Amino acid sequence: MSRFTKIALIGLILFPFAFLLMLSVGRQWPYPAVFPEQWSLGNWQLVLVGSEGLGNSVLLSVLLSLSVATLSTGLSFWVSRHIAYHPKREAWLSLAYFPYVFAPVILAACLQFFFIVAGLYGTFGGVLLAQLFITFPYGVIFFSSFWNERLRSMEELVKTLGGSTLQAYAKVLVPVAKGALMTCFFQLFLISWFEYGLTNLIGVGKVPTLTLRVFQYVNEANIFLAALASCLLILPPVALLWLNRAVVFRERIAP
Amino acid sequence: MQQRWAAYGGRSLFVLLSAVPIVAGVSYALLYSLGLTGVMAEGFTLAHWQEILGDAAFWRTLGFSLYVAAVSILIALGLSLALVLRSPQAFTKGELSFFIYLPLSIPAIVMAFFIFQLLGKGGWLSRVSHQLGLISALEQFPDWVNDNYGIGIIVAHVIMATPFFTIFFANLYQNERLGEYLHLAATLGANGRQRVFRVAVPVLLRRGLATVFLYFMFVMGSYEIPLLVGSQSVQMVSVRTIQRLQRYNLGDIPEAYAISVAYTVLVVVLLSGLLWYNRKQMGRT
Repeated sequence: MSRFTKIALIGLILFPFAFLLMLSVGRQWPYPAVFPEQWSLGNWQLVLVGSEGLGNSVLLSVLLSLSVATLSTGLSFWVSRHIAYHPKREAWLSLAYFPYVFAPVILAACLQFFFIVAGLYGTFGGVLLAQLFITFPYGVIFFSSFWNERLRSMEELVKTLGGSTLQAYAKVLVPVAKGALMTCFFQLFLISWFEYGLTNLIGVGKVPTLTLRVFQYVNEANIFLAALASCLLILPPVALLWLNRAVVFRERIAP
Repeated sequence: MQQRWAAYGGRSLFVLLSAVPIVAGVSYALLYSLGLTGVMAEGFTLAHWQEILGDAAFWRTLGFSLYVAAVSILIALGLSLALVLRSPQAFTKGELSFFIYLPLSIPAIVMAFFIFQLLGKGGWLSRVSHQLGLISALEQFPDWVNDNYGIGIIVAHVIMATPFFTIFFANLYQNERLGEYLHLAATLGANGRQRVFRVAVPVLLRRGLATVFLYFMFVMGSYEIPLLVGSQSVQMVSVRTIQRLQRYNLGDIPEAYAISVAYTVLVVVLLSGLLWYNRKQMGRT
């Protein structure tokens, strides 16, 4: 690939990011101006000190995604072991594909009634549980290929030497699975972080995550705040990507 | 003994969190659509199903969802295969191997907003066209969002799917040692066109069929993008279902649940087809 094509491709990839960043610091953008007429960091200050509540949405989104990712990763790691070592592993695993038959938003629509009955409709706990329904099976599928005979032998060795199940997890399985656990955690964090339809339907707008804020600002035709909320949504995944690259790069050059 | 209970506990939790919600959701939707539950329930009736199945708009919705998914995936596949086959190493080593991941960090709702601001009548491309003298008024810019052909939806999905398939095929190219196959084909006298269309594309598509199909279903059931940049007259399945559920007319709710069940049946049929094809392929090899 020529240098020019490479630069053109990178430019194309970066265009949406630059465009959203431009709108997030813009104020006046009358037609047919190509760029906003006023530039200001005022919108960004709203995140920190303003009354728009964007800072609260950031915290809420972080708390929700961290909770979903932690719970799903932990539970799916533990459960996937019992599925992977079952003689009818494939049949069990096919159940994990069930949630993907539905689009998440349609799943939420069909489950609304049960969330109302359980008193979870419009609550943080309800949204967390609903997101578990799509992240947990993903985690089980993710870890299903992790368990193998070598790990089983290591686990049995711990027990032969007098160790408990808890010790086998703490001293052997979790350290061995550290990389897979981190990858799964990041992926589940992102699924939760990007979720809109299901969160909106089960949360009834009372759990205003950042994705809901973007939609709210678009509806209010406030493109500058919508762009700002979009930037805030993109920031953590980009940071995770950067971190991942830095770690991989460090591992590659390590002796 | 303790281990056996842990295994039972683990598997029960698995069923509880993956199968139970789906079975409960589909059962509730089916019962509602048959008039057996819900505020409007008056006993068993097929009226809602008859209404849905006889409604041209419902079939248009299903057809439109299939059309958007098929066109988006075909364009994204074409672009990603062209990129990977042109420079297979570019996406696994060097700067592009990092930059190609960046579009994956854009959520669907942000992509929809971006497309709206880019392709809308008052969007950035319209403004650039005005400055270049290509149009003299906002109305002259073509309808690329909220249009009946789903152009905005397709463009948004192509932008999201192309980097994903590029990464996927670039890794597949390496893992399947496609370079060696292509070299062998060249040694046996295959020209460039034959190497691409007789060797590379069939290998990559056959290996990636399940992923391509799952992405197809993801696009078909997408919600945020058609909600923001889709048309009101021709809707995708998720948007039509949710809008009917959220209307004030309670009579629309059973029909919304009937659409949910019909969509689920369609996806299950498509999935079964994929599994059948996969088994057939495995039987052949």
